[in-house]
Amino acid sequence: MSSKESRFRLLKHEGVKGTFIICPGLCKGCGLCLERCPHDVIDWSEELGIYGTPRAAPARMDDCIACGICQLVCPDSAILIQKKQKKKA
Amino acid sequence: MDKGGTMPLSWHRESKPHKFCPGCGHGLVLKVLGELIDEMDLRERLLFGCDIGCSLLAWNFFNVDSVQTHHGRTTPVMVGLKRGKPDMVALAYMGDGAAYAIGSQHLVNAAYRNENIFILVVNNTVYAMTGGQMSPTTLAGQKTETSPYGRDTELAGQPTRGAEMMAAIAAEGAYVARGSVARMIQLKKFMKKALENQLAGRGLSFLEALSTCPTNWRTNARETWRFLEEDMAAYYPLGELSGPGKEVRGS
Ligand SMILES: Cc1ncc(C[n+]2csc(CCOP(=O)(O)OP(=O)(O)O)c2C)c(N)n1
Ligand code: SF4
Ligand SMILES: [Mg+2]
Repeated sequence: MSSKESRFRLLKHEGVKGTFIICPGLCKGCGLCLERCPHDVIDWSEELGIYGTPRAAPARMDDCIACGICQLVCPDSAILIQKKQKKKA
Repeated sequence: MDKGGTMPLSWHRESKPHKFCPGCGHGLVLKVLGELIDEMDLRERLLFGCDIGCSLLAWNFFNVDSVQTHHGRTTPVMVGLKRGKPDMVALAYMGDGAAYAIGSQHLVNAAYRNENIFILVVNNTVYAMTGGQMSPTTLAGQKTETSPYGRDTELAGQPTRGAEMMAAIAAEGAYVARGSVARMIQLKKFMKKALENQLAGRGLSFLEALSTCPTNWRTNARETWRFLEEDMAAYYPLGELSGPGKEVRGS
């Protein structure tokens, strides 16, 4: 991986309904997703992000319904939600 | 998904993270546009023109041909490019100050001539790049650098409703709408229709996107959403104002 691409390294957080993928190299810590998450899943990170402020970090993945609202409202395109396929009965 | 990571493929990766402030609505509008460039296969066809103001921070935002021009002059530049290269899709991207103050003559004349371009206006109610001065769309009573006691409409007039003005003078075939970064799915639907209108050669497409500027509004995330969804949306209603199969307001 080139140094340019390692900027876009992804962190994956597994939940029951889906996977929360965040690119720490893109998150500026605006907090828009924290306000929008209907289940209050996202919190501030312990370590500082690229703008020297805490960044968004999913802290309560058990509550995540994989609705994708956080992905929708991220101005930096730092979040990707992958919904788990429902198992066929 | 791993091919583009978390970003649309049309986003120019070397210029990311982009230069907009944390929480800036420009990034949301350009994310919708980036997804549509991918989905509508416009990478080789789009001519992206940006203005002076924070919109210029997008001069290297996409993997598409881009031009950055003078304040308020993006409309005539894109009109010229479209006339010279009619097979291309011309987009003039600018702020509320550019569109409704210094560039309003171009807006009006492009509408009367029904120029076959797409004008996309990001309305954040301030001259953001220069430090948050009052703009034509600053709300009544809104505090800015140049209206420290709030906009006085006796002195500064009523805020400009640009989409309504464009709908009033738009020719047959023109598409006019107002969306918001608070309603991303609707915003994408309107933007897609605006691009399709140009592809169909029906004439002018105009979309105003209500947007955020936490830096100059001096708002935290909660207050940013509140100002956008309550104060701005109350004066600037969302919906399609003209065009085929428009969504009637309030529906
Ligand atoms: C001819 C000219 N007049 C004035 C300016 C100064 N100026 C730079 S950006 C700007 C305002 C931009 O506001 P807006 O169009 O709303 O875009 P925003 O930054 O809010 O996205 C002004 C007045 C300029 N660059 N050129
Ligand atoms: S000053 Fe406002 S409009 Fe400009 S980049 Fe920052 S948040 Fe966006
Ligand atoms: Mg502005």
